[in-house]
Amino acid sequence: MLRFAGTILSNGKARIGAAILGLFLLIGIFAPLLSPYDPNANDFAGGEGASAAHWLGTTAAGEDVLSQLLHGAQVSLLVGLVAGGLSTVVAVLIGLSWGYLRGFTAEAINFVVNLFLVIPGLPLMIVLAAYLQGGGLIMIIAVVVITGWAWGARVLRSQTQSLRSRDFVTAAVFSGERPSRIVFREILPNMLSLIVGSFFGAATAAILAESGLSYLGLGDTSTISWGTMLFWAQNSNALLTGQWALLFAPGLCIALLATSLTLINFGVDGISNPRLREGKDAR
Amino acid sequence: MAPSRILRRAALAAVAALALSSCAIQLQSRPDPTVGDDTMLIGADTGAPFFEENFNPYLGTKRIGVNYLFEPLLLVDPISGQEHDWLAESTEVPDPSTIVFDLRDGVTWSDGEPFTEDDVAFTFDLLQQVPAFDGTGIWSYIDSYETGDGTVTVHLKEPDVPARVIIGGVVIVPEHQWADVENPDSFRNTDPIGTGPYTLGNFTPQQYSMDKNHDYWQADEVAAEHLILPAANSDLDVVTKGYDWAFKYMSNVEGTWLAASDTNSYFFPPGGTIALFPNHTREPFDDVRVRQALSLALDRRSIADLAAEGYMDPASMSGLLLPNQEEDLDPSLPDQGFVEQDRDRALELLAEAGWTLQGDRLVDESGQQLAFTITTANGYADWLRAVQEVERQFEAIGIDVSVDQPQPAGHTLAQRNGDFDLIVSSFGGTGTVYQDFNNNLSGEFFVPEGEETGNNFGRYRNDEVDAILREYRVTTDETRLRELAWELENVFYDDVPVIGMYYGGSWGLFSDRKFTGWPSEEDRYSPITYMPSALLVLTSLERVRQEGDD
Amino acid sequence: MLCALRKLGLFALTLWAAVTINFFLPRLMPGDPADAALARLAQNGPVTDATRAAIEAQLGLPTGNLWDQYVSYLQQVVTLDFGVSFTYYPQSVSELVADALPYTLILVGLVTVIAFIGGTLLGVLAAWKRGTWLDALPTIGGSFASAFPYFWTALLLLFFLGYVLRWFPSSGAYSVTSDPGLNWQFIGDAAYHAALPAVTILVTSLGGWILGMRNTMISTLGDDYVTFAEANGLRKRTVALRYAARNAILPNLTSFGLALGGVVGGSLLVEQVFGYPGVGYLLFNAVINQDYPLMQAMFLMITVSVLVANFLVDILYGVLDPRTRR
Repeated sequence: MLRFAGTILSNGKARIGAAILGLFLLIGIFAPLLSPYDPNANDFAGGEGASAAHWLGTTAAGEDVLSQLLHGAQVSLLVGLVAGGLSTVVAVLIGLSWGYLRGFTAEAINFVVNLFLVIPGLPLMIVLAAYLQGGGLIMIIAVVVITGWAWGARVLRSQTQSLRSRDFVTAAVFSGERPSRIVFREILPNMLSLIVGSFFGAATAAILAESGLSYLGLGDTSTISWGTMLFWAQNSNALLTGQWALLFAPGLCIALLATSLTLINFGVDGISNPRLREGKDAR
Repeated sequence: MAPSRILRRAALAAVAALALSSCAIQLQSRPDPTVGDDTMLIGADTGAPFFEENFNPYLGTKRIGVNYLFEPLLLVDPISGQEHDWLAESTEVPDPSTIVFDLRDGVTWSDGEPFTEDDVAFTFDLLQQVPAFDGTGIWSYIDSYETGDGTVTVHLKEPDVPARVIIGGVVIVPEHQWADVENPDSFRNTDPIGTGPYTLGNFTPQQYSMDKNHDYWQADEVAAEHLILPAANSDLDVVTKGYDWAFKYMSNVEGTWLAASDTNSYFFPPGGTIALFPNHTREPFDDVRVRQALSLALDRRSIADLAAEGYMDPASMSGLLLPNQEEDLDPSLPDQGFVEQDRDRALELLAEAGWTLQGDRLVDESGQQLAFTITTANGYADWLRAVQEVERQFEAIGIDVSVDQPQPAGHTLAQRNGDFDLIVSSFGGTGTVYQDFNNNLSGEFFVPEGEETGNNFGRYRNDEVDAILREYRVTTDETRLRELAWELENVFYDDVPVIGMYYGGSWGLFSDRKFTGWPSEEDRYSPITYMPSALLVLTSLERVRQEGDD
Repeated sequence: MLCALRKLGLFALTLWAAVTINFFLPRLMPGDPADAALARLAQNGPVTDATRAAIEAQLGLPTGNLWDQYVSYLQQVVTLDFGVSFTYYPQSVSELVADALPYTLILVGLVTVIAFIGGTLLGVLAAWKRGTWLDALPTIGGSFASAFPYFWTALLLLFFLGYVLRWFPSSGAYSVTSDPGLNWQFIGDAAYHAALPAVTILVTSLGGWILGMRNTMISTLGDDYVTFAEANGLRKRTVALRYAARNAILPNLTSFGLALGGVVGGSLLVEQVFGYPGVGYLLFNAVINQDYPLMQAMFLMITVSVLVANFLVDILYGVLDPRTRR
């Protein structure tokens, strides 16, 4: 495990990514301590610009923007990690069996995955969000997982198909190993980079999906997340009143968090594929 | 484009934005110079995102411009409540079952044909033949009608004096054009002929223009020669593009609309009451003491300030929109019917009803905490802000509140089915006291939970109220009508059928650059662009004479 | 032959299932189109039972039980006649889609193809020139740009370039004064209006293609056959492009087949911010207004295009990677 982390961090980009992610994790965990005010407290003057008391100003409803931003990290991280993790698990289970198996089962899986792939994602999310109304964060996570796993499964299946015709798999088949063992012991470790990569990809997609849904007003507008901050900012004409921080800061945080995950992915790629490592290992 | 360029641009934009975040950019109004001084830019009709050409005034998908093309027999201003004779010169009620509309002489259609009682008769028949057009349900009141000598006499199914504003409110279409229409229910009327102050000019999917009808029966009162209605009316557009009139809630109106130009002004009179409707068929809301306690537990001022940024006032528990309906207010109601927060009294009432405070939980004899759900519509930001504050205030007296926010369609469904404990919705704003109370409190609309109703969805039933409403329908005497209104207000105040929170606004944005005489605090009438009452605005304005004008 | 037939059969089965889901999905949402219309009207003033009755009559709400509705829906699908929209009544669904489709196809379709080709080439370049600035700039820049939420990038571009600087129009697909038609003046005008949405989509989607291509390319560059080819004295460039890139493009191609179909859904937020009259905007309105006929037609359109794209990619995949043919 440590060796894994070491390999990842030997990559310069991944180090930067990990640093950013770590910072956000710390912010998320210690948000209650770091925040100058209760993020729900709305007894300040509304629509104020930046000041010593409110570094990023206040919202139209009189909440402290900085406190909301710090607390918002919790929701985005939670949605990203949980929804990304769950959809990766589903994608791995389905993608690998799909890629390895032949015949009717494969066709059946193909059928199901295709169904999920062909139904347009964002509209499906909107319909689901309307259906699972009022479920709060769990609803958002459920929607993201339902709409998000199929893509990963498809990518993993392609790679599994490629791998299963390799010599080491053929050898395992001839030595009489059980299919589940071949898939999860022989093939899976060879795809670790792709899986971890697809986890970070799914987490990024989940964070962006949460912000998109919340921005459209379809999330739980009473929780504080970066997406709902954008929703309220847009609602209170932050662009027109010149309250930049309201719109700019949450968007930048979303982008930074998503970038950090992508950057870590550069290091992850080096785990199972030394070719992707940087520095003296490479070439 | 090379990615390095994109990158550099992105970096530049980021740096620029960061630098700008410290200094605010104030957008100024910069009107399009090609729009003439006699032309009014109206933010009323929003395309989705383009306009479909549809000037059939009876379809839900009609263009807003139909309100400046077609006219009703009489108009009720939703803010002042004042009745204006329009295509009917006068409206008589010889007995509570009969209404006589005496039509105005000398009115012509925009193609030159005279407007007659046959057009009114044709319109009434049309609404009977095509029920989809009868959006206000006039044929639920009309038994028969007859025409003759410039009058239309309507006989009602049963005595109902207030029905005259509903029947008189129907806009009239020309028989000589519409009689030949084969499928009126899908007729788009792309070449509309009306009696109104404007005719349709140039129509494109992104905006349309309307031109003054110089043969209009009160052409002298109409100041603007042309109207332009663009399809894109975002807040940014309205602020920056020099609109003369828009109907729009604009957050921080001082910092946006007013700051953009010296000549900009706004008028936000109450247009309805945003309220919590208790479900009277569910416990404990069938207990008046609980309803009173919930009403007393609210600090309406802080709710109003949060929900509408201080632009709107807390709602009076008289059930009236104040100050619009001040004249109808019972002077004996304490403090104009405004209810101050009184937690002690609320807790006393709850104790009488069987709920006592234990620690910070309000419990009944079995130790069960008082808990209920408030339903509001997702995406309605002001309602949500209000509910969040209500939640805090109810929880402060030990009630366990949860909030349910379905999409607007789901909210409407829950409301119609009675599938809620407390639901946020609005009432009032028709301009007539009778309609406001009748729609919400009349036992005639009562249905049990699970069955659908569009009126009185709180499922309130009170024989006293029904008796007052019945008397209202047969009364023509002004003094008696006023007394009846007072009685309704008192029932509303004491029995708390609905818990009013704050007033929802009627959001008028105006510019005095080219035209003056807009609705204002001093001259209270409706700023609404999308109803026939807009005719009042269009016929009340005057042009601002500028240098070089004759 | 048998294989092709089976694939075709599966294609048909998936199509039927998707069509069926498209029917039931909108009906999952609480409330019906009349409730959605009423909710909209209630924002403007009091509504009564009479209003509801009139709206129901106007919309001609689906009658009969769910099964009957489903059967008549299947008939509609077969005859490609989707009836009349609820939201834009009395406009027919086919008219609406026909009006909106060209804008989205040209705007989003073109930009997606450009992003895919450009991103893939940059990805090959980055892998090939690994460790140099030609690698670092596209990869890091691309991942940062693609991490921005679509609508946020759109909002910022719109605000600065559309409102503050006024270099670009703030909404619409062409000027009010210009007359849609196939003439250079209109095409230029339309391109000018499409610029901001196009840049938004390009900026946010380019990164994904670059990264995907770069990583698989680097992996394949390490494969035995590439080393073997190099050892055999083939030129590095030939190896990279003829052998490595050809194999590395496979996963990217899969994604592309799906992305092409997702064009409509993906453009939803961008078209919404820019008030661009494409199918994304239409779809958004259909969904929030529970416009069943419009939603069904558009979901069907997207479904079929994704299915066809996938079908083609599946075939292409077999051509490019002989191993999957077994």
